[in-house]
Amino acid sequence: MAKFITIGERIHCISPVIREAMNNMDPEPILKRAEEQLKAGADYLDVNIGPAESNGEELMKWAVKLLQENFDNVPLALDTANKKAIEAGISVYNRAKGKPIVNSADAGERIDNIDLAAANDAIIIALCSKEGVPADNDERMAYCQEMLERGMMQGMEAEDMWFDPLFLVIKGMQDKQMEVLEAIKMFADMGLNSTGGLSNCSNGMPKHIRPIMDSAMVAMAMQCGLTSAIVNPCDLRLMETIKSCDIIKNETLYADSYLEI
Amino acid sequence: MPFKKPVQKFNAAINAVELGVGEKKIVLGGQNVMPFYTFDNAIENPPRIGVEISDLGFEDQVPGIRDFYAGCKTVADMAKKAAELEDVDFVCIRLDSADPNGENAPVADCVETARAVSEAIDKPLVIIGCDNDEKDAQLFEKVADALQGKNALYLSAKEENYKSIAAAVGLAYGQKVGAESSVDLNLAKQLNVLISQIGVDAKNIVMNIGTAASGYGFEYVISTLDRVNSAALSQNDAMLQMPIITPVSSETWAVKESTATEEDMPQWGSAETRGISMEVTTAVAVLASGSSAVILRHPTSIKTVAKLIKELI
Repeated sequence: MAKFITIGERIHCISPVIREAMNNMDPEPILKRAEEQLKAGADYLDVNIGPAESNGEELMKWAVKLLQENFDNVPLALDTANKKAIEAGISVYNRAKGKPIVNSADAGERIDNIDLAAANDAIIIALCSKEGVPADNDERMAYCQEMLERGMMQGMEAEDMWFDPLFLVIKGMQDKQMEVLEAIKMFADMGLNSTGGLSNCSNGMPKHIRPIMDSAMVAMAMQCGLTSAIVNPCDLRLMETIKSCDIIKNETLYADSYLEI
Repeated sequence: MPFKKPVQKFNAAINAVELGVGEKKIVLGGQNVMPFYTFDNAIENPPRIGVEISDLGFEDQVPGIRDFYAGCKTVADMAKKAAELEDVDFVCIRLDSADPNGENAPVADCVETARAVSEAIDKPLVIIGCDNDEKDAQLFEKVADALQGKNALYLSAKEENYKSIAAAVGLAYGQKVGAESSVDLNLAKQLNVLISQIGVDAKNIVMNIGTAASGYGFEYVISTLDRVNSAALSQNDAMLQMPIITPVSSETWAVKESTATEEDMPQWGSAETRGISMEVTTAVAVLASGSSAVILRHPTSIKTVAKLIKELI
């Protein structure tokens, strides 16, 4: 057991500002978002460059160096469908503050990203799905098992495989939420690490509701044993909830100023 | 199958804090293993021993201590004598005379004493106050000013007076701040947070998380040390990675096992032997639970604890 790990999700090419900065290799907007997230308490930063088919390798190398040089070798999650770009990013990655995370593999087409992570001594986010949303936890756990075996065969340590149960949107899939939490519990019972795009649960909800719903979800998921999540660290309520849960779980020692550190 | 020795690895270490200047300067902390676990990784800086003297002298002390300082005319003489002990890594001067409920010596006099002591020795110096929060704050500010460049440690900043002490000692005069809590885990951490928030670098903070003489609620002291050590190493808690210094002698020489006379307690045997036993037992226990330094009084205790450290590291 260890302190909950937050992966900041805000360097994402879906944001117009970031997309433009990536197109022009303009450091400022990216550095600004990185700084905001680290100040807010993010442990890892996700770097999503999109499919980046033409210049992915160059772009990922540039982004990794830019962030690590400016922020004391901050550990990163390299997030793209372009495998060559991930490898290029890892080739210039400094491990002083933690292994790189490959985001992500699944039990379907992207299963060979496990091999990529294994070959590069990286952490892999292993999404427990093949095509779309798994029907139930039998299916989820079968994918989990399949990916775990693949990783072990390649010589990975189980602790470097972070299983993603696939958080589902509450508006529309309300009846599936407890199942997601049960899957997290099953990962935890097997001693496995877990992560996921937690804010997916509040997708489509009004802006003022989302931090509340995300906070409730993270608290329930942490109780089930979730060890990490990909989140917006600038969501103060969410970060305060995570810090409070870490206290209740005795993962950090309480001090009156615990929210400030 | 050959035996593979398991190694307890931590991705964290206790801060290495330098005390003093020049050839005799020392480093407290730096270890990334459990106390004395040299089989897991080398411990570069073994636990350190300080000798404690008071600006009131030791007239009322046991023969072994009184005799050791026989012939010393001033506190500086005592400091010089104390520093000559081979096993002593640093000298602590208690400015007891400043106590408003005792002699209430003016701050200026104490500054002079501290200056004279610091000039008399070349080993690192630890300044201990008179245990009056207000007076200590005034005292430390002036002493830290007078001892600029000596890199001394000041015991202690507490919840009640940390602001002025941390600002003067840690920021204005660039020396080492001792953060004192009384066997209270959460306060120990909180005080480090507060002192850091004032702007004092974590590497300039040493903790005194409090102690008791062994047998006096001592399990609580040990469990506090254990928990702080485990938060620092296994949870990589930067706000608990300051090395710990434990003033042992002031506790152990005040309990009845050390103070009861042989006339009153003939069945207990020599008072001096009892006092040394209390001092050694307490010191060894806090060292085994993660303290990076202990403060002692009796030359025999110092020798005994030093031997133990040498044998283990």
